[in-house]
Amino acid sequence: MNREEYLAELERLLLELPEEERQAAVQYYADYFEDSGAANEAEVIRELGSPLKAAESIKADYYGREFNEAEYEEKDYMEKYGQKSSENRTDQESAQDREQKTGKSPWTNRGLKILLIALIAIAAWPVSLTVACVALGLAAAAVGIFAALVIASVAVTVGGIFVVAAGVALLVIPPGGLIVIGTGILLFTLGLIAAAGSVKLCILVYPAMLRGFVNLCRRPLYGKAV
Amino acid sequence: MVFNTGAALLDAIVLAVVSMEDEGTYGYKITQDVRKVIDVSESTLYPVLRRLQKDDCLEVYDRQFDGRNRRYYKVTARGMAQLNLYKSEWKAYTRKINAIFEGGVPA
Repeated sequence: MNREEYLAELERLLLELPEEERQAAVQYYADYFEDSGAANEAEVIRELGSPLKAAESIKADYYGREFNEAEYEEKDYMEKYGQKSSENRTDQESAQDREQKTGKSPWTNRGLKILLIALIAIAAWPVSLTVACVALGLAAAAVGIFAALVIASVAVTVGGIFVVAAGVALLVIPPGGLIVIGTGILLFTLGLIAAAGSVKLCILVYPAMLRGFVNLCRRPLYGKAV
Repeated sequence: MVFNTGAALLDAIVLAVVSMEDEGTYGYKITQDVRKVIDVSESTLYPVLRRLQKDDCLEVYDRQFDGRNRRYYKVTARGMAQLNLYKSEWKAYTRKINAIFEGGVPA
């Protein structure tokens, strides 16, 4: 977001205010950008907070209601948090702890931010773990299905051989033995065809799955266009 | 800062900062000056300036600067009176606090 976008967004968010009120606010922020110098534009936007936050603080003041900074943006959440804990006497000990850990400044503190992100990650852990397990399970199932096809086909082929062997043993009763041998040969042939087919399928499918998995892993790191 | 800056103290600081310039001063400079002494976010100050202006403690005027209009803030007579009130209140307040901190009986 650049300066023009910031000011346009601010103006849009203040449409409900009287013209004069809105113009005064937009002029103030436009002046602010001008006076801080073009080089500092990004820094100023970061410091000012979102247009929404600026607009809400202006509107809150206009309507004479309290503005709760904590509802807007992480940075301001940190500020409010620092203020609150030093305000709250019963919370004194933890506030002191926090201040010591984060080096005297509870407002907009890097260490505290990292701690918070770590806490969020830990809090979200059951969810992310579950998702990871489900994904792993589905992948394993997909791998398993094709492997099972190969194994089943091989089993049918081997079964066919045994049935032929059984038929040979049954040749003491020639018609029965011949039927069993025939059935065995048929099973053997079908099994062989199925095995060849499923092996071929695996050769096609497994590398594709691996590629898909690798892409999936790369996506969050490098973006879609790899 | 471990101590909070309440609305009245913030008003007082802003009035004091603006009153230091006879010709008046502008938003960006006010923000920078206030931020030298207390930690406030940059967007906190506009509503404060606007309120002080509505309360007739500040007046605004536009002056040409660098080929554009820049809005200047100046403390009014009413604003000066308000600032003096804040200053004497602050003196009394800090005297009492100091007395306790330094172990004496409050004066």
